[in-house]
Amino acid sequence: MHALLAVASSFTGPRLDYHALAPEIILTATLVLVLLADLVLEERNQWLISNLAGIGVLASVIPIITLAVQNHAARSMAGGAYVVDDFSLVLKALFLGIGYVVLLMSTNYVEEGDYYQGEYYFLLLASLLGMVVMASARDLITIFVALETLSIPAYMLAGWRKRDLKSNEAAIKYYLLGVLASAVMLYGMSLVFGYTGSTVLTEIGKQVNGSITHKPVITLGIFFIVIGFAFKVSAVPFHFWAPDTYEGSPTPVTAFLSVASKTAGFVALLELIYVGFLGRNDVWGPMFWVLAALTMTVGNLIALRQTNVVRLLAYSSIAQAGYVLVPFAVAGDNIAARRSSFTAAVVYLMIYAAMNLGAFSVVIAVARKTRSGDISSYGGLFEYAPGLTVAMTVFLFALAGIPPAGGWFAKLMVFRAVLDSGTTWAVVLGVIAGVNSVIALYYYAAVAREMWMSPVPDGDVTPVRVPAPLLASLGLTGLVVMAIGVYPQLFAHFGDLGTLVR
Amino acid sequence: MNAFDHWALSGAVFIPILGAVLLAFVPKRLEVEIKAVALLTTVVTAGVGVYLLAHFDYDKTHQLQYAVDRSWIDVISSRYHIGLDGISLPMLALSMFISVLCIVYSWDHFPEPHNPKAFLILLLVLETGMNGTFVAQDLILFFVFFELVLLPMYFMIGVWGGPNRQYASIKFFLVTLFGSALMILSFLALYFKVTLPDGSHTFDIVKLASVHGAGIAHGAQLLIFGGLFIGFAIKVPMFPFHTWLPDAHTEAPTVGSVILAAILLKLGTYGFIRIAIPILPEAAKSWAPWIGVLAVIGIIYGALGCLAQRDMKRLIAFSSIAHMGFVMLGISTLTTYGINAAIFGMVAHGLITGMLFFLAGSIQERFHTRELDRLGGLLLQAPRMGWILGFCAMASLGLPGLAGFWGEFPAILSTYSPAVGLNLALFRTFMVIASIGTVLAAGYLLWMLQRVAFGTVKAEFEHEHIHDMHGPEYLAWTPILVLIVLLGVVPGIVFRVTDKPVQKVTVAHVEQRRSVVTGQTAVGQP
Amino acid sequence: MYLVEYLLLAAALFSIGVYGVLARKNGVLVLMSIELMLNAVNINLIAFGAFRGNAIGQVFALFVIAVAAAEVGVGMAIVLLIFRNRASVNLDEVDLMRG
Repeated sequence: MHALLAVASSFTGPRLDYHALAPEIILTATLVLVLLADLVLEERNQWLISNLAGIGVLASVIPIITLAVQNHAARSMAGGAYVVDDFSLVLKALFLGIGYVVLLMSTNYVEEGDYYQGEYYFLLLASLLGMVVMASARDLITIFVALETLSIPAYMLAGWRKRDLKSNEAAIKYYLLGVLASAVMLYGMSLVFGYTGSTVLTEIGKQVNGSITHKPVITLGIFFIVIGFAFKVSAVPFHFWAPDTYEGSPTPVTAFLSVASKTAGFVALLELIYVGFLGRNDVWGPMFWVLAALTMTVGNLIALRQTNVVRLLAYSSIAQAGYVLVPFAVAGDNIAARRSSFTAAVVYLMIYAAMNLGAFSVVIAVARKTRSGDISSYGGLFEYAPGLTVAMTVFLFALAGIPPAGGWFAKLMVFRAVLDSGTTWAVVLGVIAGVNSVIALYYYAAVAREMWMSPVPDGDVTPVRVPAPLLASLGLTGLVVMAIGVYPQLFAHFGDLGTLVR
Repeated sequence: MNAFDHWALSGAVFIPILGAVLLAFVPKRLEVEIKAVALLTTVVTAGVGVYLLAHFDYDKTHQLQYAVDRSWIDVISSRYHIGLDGISLPMLALSMFISVLCIVYSWDHFPEPHNPKAFLILLLVLETGMNGTFVAQDLILFFVFFELVLLPMYFMIGVWGGPNRQYASIKFFLVTLFGSALMILSFLALYFKVTLPDGSHTFDIVKLASVHGAGIAHGAQLLIFGGLFIGFAIKVPMFPFHTWLPDAHTEAPTVGSVILAAILLKLGTYGFIRIAIPILPEAAKSWAPWIGVLAVIGIIYGALGCLAQRDMKRLIAFSSIAHMGFVMLGISTLTTYGINAAIFGMVAHGLITGMLFFLAGSIQERFHTRELDRLGGLLLQAPRMGWILGFCAMASLGLPGLAGFWGEFPAILSTYSPAVGLNLALFRTFMVIASIGTVLAAGYLLWMLQRVAFGTVKAEFEHEHIHDMHGPEYLAWTPILVLIVLLGVVPGIVFRVTDKPVQKVTVAHVEQRRSVVTGQTAVGQP
Repeated sequence: MYLVEYLLLAAALFSIGVYGVLARKNGVLVLMSIELMLNAVNINLIAFGAFRGNAIGQVFALFVIAVAAAEVGVGMAIVLLIFRNRASVNLDEVDLMRG
């Protein structure tokens, strides 16, 4: 007992950098407030909750800005397990931006749904918190906790419409494969920990690049971890949950999953690969090559025969993930490729977020009138909703990579990374990506064709009423997509982050 | 350079898109206002164009004038670099000119489903894309403008087109996009492979052209040129990449066809002259015989294709393939003479074929058909239109004294003595085949003229009142007709502008013969 | 005992878990299989922690146990939801969407 007390008196708690943690703290406070508000507020005042959540998300952006303005060196906490640097600031801002747009998309959807509002926003914010933490995680345990914090609420969000059988199905499929992926990833982490004796990525990085490089168990560990995250980012052949989950979930949740949760998976991969396993590109290089090639090709080919627009966007987002995997496949080839791959992945994720969220906003807006997700229900949209049609056209062709809508720059950065590497395998992958972007155009153009060139299916040409929050999310994403397309420099330097690249 | 000069070229590119944005805020029902805004926009743009023409230094046509070079995307060291030289100038002027006339022409006959607002917005976006492509001096900027043209054209064909519009539009889109994908890969390859003397990499066309592809292995040059070749050849279109063109032309609304023929096709040939040949001269030489072969195949194939058509627009589309074959033949010689002829051919073809498509559109509007079997006796029912059709057919078949002649004839002549290192016998064979092509051209054009304009009116239209030309048509067509004659009589106004910059393009090829194409008298004396 | 024995035990458990997730139709049994996989990880972590002589392994294992509890709680809730709507926990029947 004495001994214990003696230890306790000499124990000093870990020093917390409250400024650096402010975004997480504000977000947590908002989350608690939302939960309490749900308890206190009467049914007719429930709309306040959405505003509260929105304000909370915006408020947590403020410390990110102040931190960025300070131009401080990386702030490292808990022995390097939690780091706030340029990379994490940019990605936190991205996650919060995505979160805010999803809130805007959800407001009317949730209000008009039959289910509880409070828990929806609580779960959304909780998931968002996990993502924000993920951007700073530089340790296996932190990554694991962040991943579960963002995933567990997401499982519940997918099943939010609890009396809807499709929503149930979405939840159970997402849950089972998500948990399976976590278990596989954890198994890999346990092996990596076992052979390095540490969970901090920088420490693992030192050892992996050093003497024990060729231990097969490390190879196995990296293999399992990459497979685990391949599930998370719905890379083929670990994608089969994604279309069903996306179709069955409430549409704003689908947008959230296909953008935010996927981005979080890629962020974790960036951290793991660039900080932890850089020396072992002989293991992950070929894995990512195969994943990227399969993901792009299979995603696009299946998307070609979709008739439901949400499902089409689901497969399109699988294919888009394939393009993000391309820079990972070539990152290990040389120093130039390592740098440009990093930039390409980050820039791609940012642009992808804007264009995909935009496309989903239009889907939500149109479904308010047509109550349908069939591509054929988009017939003649141009006649009664020209604004929505133009917006959707911009987002679709951004996804297809046609200038001047934003996506072309993301694809260009990917091709640049490929050519920076310059190996034959890299170039072959680049050609596969090129062919795929032409295939992809076909189904994006098919939706555009339906909107512009087909007659209205039921002859009902009453205009679509777009509520203000949805309009705001459309405007925001549209503006970002066009701004990136016309003046990419505005965003490109966010991807030019040296902090993780050595 | 004064402040206006600095902004003028950017204005020429971006005023149309500003007009389009403005249009988006005009309510749909104010049709007259919408048309007025659109017309005003193109007129202002053309006004800027006139200013550019007036203040252009015609003694230094080989230098970039009104150049602007500002940072744009630093991450990939791509810059906002635009400028006007003697090659860009005629193309830019043509693009502005045709845009105004298209709006005038469509003033009171918008194709179904009407909606002038959307149609004009697309037209203005299209103009920005075209103007931008012709002045861009940076590969990425070029790419962005080049692609900007795709979407409006896709929608123009797909929404306002004929019965088979959906198929035609998606085919146009996918085929051209495939070309662009190869093109952008080649651009990136150029960026990585070409090292400037100071060791840096660049997308700048001027700088890239100044080193003539130094430091790239021959094999790599051939591959990169191949990518550029397919990208541009699809747009031209050269045989065998032409399959999208007849469909697109046939289904497109009149104005769409006109722009497609007059300007969009030129983006491809312009790309060859501006990018592919000056940057990779060595590869150009290896590819030139193949370009030549495909060009003459195109000439003969296009001509034979014409003879098999029953649809007037489709016939003109095939004649486009043949004419662009002459342009590409001129380019394939890699001589100043040939490329000058090619640029002239581009301008002439733009005017003449554009005009033919206007006529086809007006004929369809009156007879509700373009089938050659059902048409006839246009001279009886609408004599003015009939005579104009005759005039354009003459211009198109290359009658001396009209614009078409100066594109075709020098191009054929240039193959007599191609650049050093090219197979003389082969190119002289091309010359013979191309000459046969001109005979065939005369054949199909006169055949078309005869079926449409001569003869008696078919029974089904006998009692129908066919209105001859009306106001907008007079306004839109007169300037084109005047220009066709003017360029036919004084071709020097174009040759004088293009000659010096073209010399710069071909400077890498030691030529057998210095260019003499500086005035009309010199042309035609090999 | 040797480290390797623990690792083999963990690997065996993990494999049984994977098999269970893929082959079982009953939702509750699938959840139990997942538990098996997570506990295999825990055995690995603790064995390695002891082998390395540091507490990190145990800390990690504690995190895994805590998170797994939350995870399985949510999983049970979802399975319960399906049972309510369908009166069955057979996961093969949960297959409305295809394509």
